[in-house]
Amino acid sequence: MTTLDLSRVHAEASAPHRLAVALREIARRSPGETAIVAAAGGPDRRRIDYASLAAMVDGIEQAVTAARPVGIVVRARKIESLVAIAAACGAAGVPVALLADDARDLAGELRDWTVVDDSLAVPASGLSRPSGYDEGPPHVVVATSGTSGPPKLVQRTWDAVLAAARLAEQWHGLGWLLVYDATRWAGIQVWAQSLLTGGRLIVPALRDPDTVARAIVDEQAAILPATPTLLRRLLTSADRSLLSQAKLARITLGGEAADGPLLEQAKAAFPGARISHVYATTELGEVFRVTDGRPGFPAAWLGREMPGGIRLSARRDGELLVQLSRDSTDVATGDLVELRGDRYEFTGRRSDVIVVGGAKVLPRRVEDLLRSVPGIAEARVYGQPSAITGELVAAEIVLVDPLPAGATPESVRAAALAACREALEPHGVPRILDIVSRIKTTSTGKASRRPVATTP
Amino acid sequence: MIASIPDAIATAIRTVLHDTGRSAREVESSMLLATDLGLDSLDLAQTIVLLERSLGVDPFRAPSGARPAIRTVGDLISVYTEAVASTATKS
Repeated sequence: MTTLDLSRVHAEASAPHRLAVALREIARRSPGETAIVAAAGGPDRRRIDYASLAAMVDGIEQAVTAARPVGIVVRARKIESLVAIAAACGAAGVPVALLADDARDLAGELRDWTVVDDSLAVPASGLSRPSGYDEGPPHVVVATSGTSGPPKLVQRTWDAVLAAARLAEQWHGLGWLLVYDATRWAGIQVWAQSLLTGGRLIVPALRDPDTVARAIVDEQAAILPATPTLLRRLLTSADRSLLSQAKLARITLGGEAADGPLLEQAKAAFPGARISHVYATTELGEVFRVTDGRPGFPAAWLGREMPGGIRLSARRDGELLVQLSRDSTDVATGDLVELRGDRYEFTGRRSDVIVVGGAKVLPRRVEDLLRSVPGIAEARVYGQPSAITGELVAAEIVLVDPLPAGATPESVRAAALAACREALEPHGVPRILDIVSRIKTTSTGKASRRPVATTP
Repeated sequence: MIASIPDAIATAIRTVLHDTGRSAREVESSMLLATDLGLDSLDLAQTIVLLERSLGVDPFRAPSGARPAIRTVGDLISVYTEAVASTATKS
């Protein structure tokens, strides 16, 4: 595409307006340029150009301005509808809620808000603003992932939504793969960055590894933001010959810690890609970024002031603490780190710790061990409630296909248990070990730490 | 297909012994769980999870007052027989 200087747009438009202004500016200069490829890698692939997307935003903004709703809850299935409604709400100064399917129950908290779906109609509403949601600049309401608790609504400013957009020239006009849910914080940041930089947002038709791989190759995706769990699934289960044609330039991992073997596998599969690992928390946003392709972060970072004034330290039990500036207090992150050689590596979330008869087990350690067993592609470890011991270590494993010569599912399972007995304390050995076809992930693409539901 | 309760219990105990690298053996109702079968609290906890899967009940999860001591395989069989029966009458 023609070189676009969007820095003026980003400098001049206020945050809530910026997405709409940028879309119009790109549409004016390169109307036919692809903004979104929806259902990529599937038979119903759709291409939406910047002119069409900007026209959608214009139409919705007019309707929103006329209807003056208290707020808008987006209930659109189509990615272009979701993006256009969000951009129009920002421009019209109306708060917008992006709720994933599993957070629909929370919409009751926003019952005075107007629902807009794929028809893009904005029904008139005679309601005034309710108490509870204060006025102030228009914001974005999203639901938390619920990795370790039930989802809840949180309010974000447009400044926060757009903060991550990298405006440097080399980021412009690239193909961004969206494997996250578009209504989640991680997903919102991907589509916002793609569209603010005149990129092509590529949304796979399905999230299965083969469809994702096909979308990467067919649409020439350059940037893949993903969780380690999603990347691992892609690397272990997608068609190898397809993956080898991928031309990824960057892989940005986040949401979970990435282990060494996964980083090695990713480097081998995508030799042209720069792999970075973002450490961010819900409360602090992005704290640091590791780009050397190794797990964890350099030990030398601890206790020293980093760029941006951030200072990292660790509690005696290994919990990582972050001090954002010299005069702010330490924030406990809930993430546990351990010194291994010249690196601090993440060993898990404090809240993920499984307590078996009073003894603590870090699920990540068990997962890493299970994944090192020949024949095992993926593993997930969780705490199974028990009336006798409080919890038991339980695990699910996905086998490689095909299995190594001579191996059977039963022999791999036995080898996994033997390896755990060899390396772990008795309470750390999984007592429940199931072979499954895929690992359950949360809506944010992380491996779930909750037991498999046994009650309806 | 619903397994008989004694069969389900014997299967669960043999699975626990097998999974923990011990040799599976015949399980009889008179056997003492700790002394004869060598089951510790982790083994018992695993047995109970396996039985919840095969029988659909966990009699140890429900808060109950005085529970008779579980010492033998036979004790387990009676606790589960009672729990399965009470679930059946409730539904």
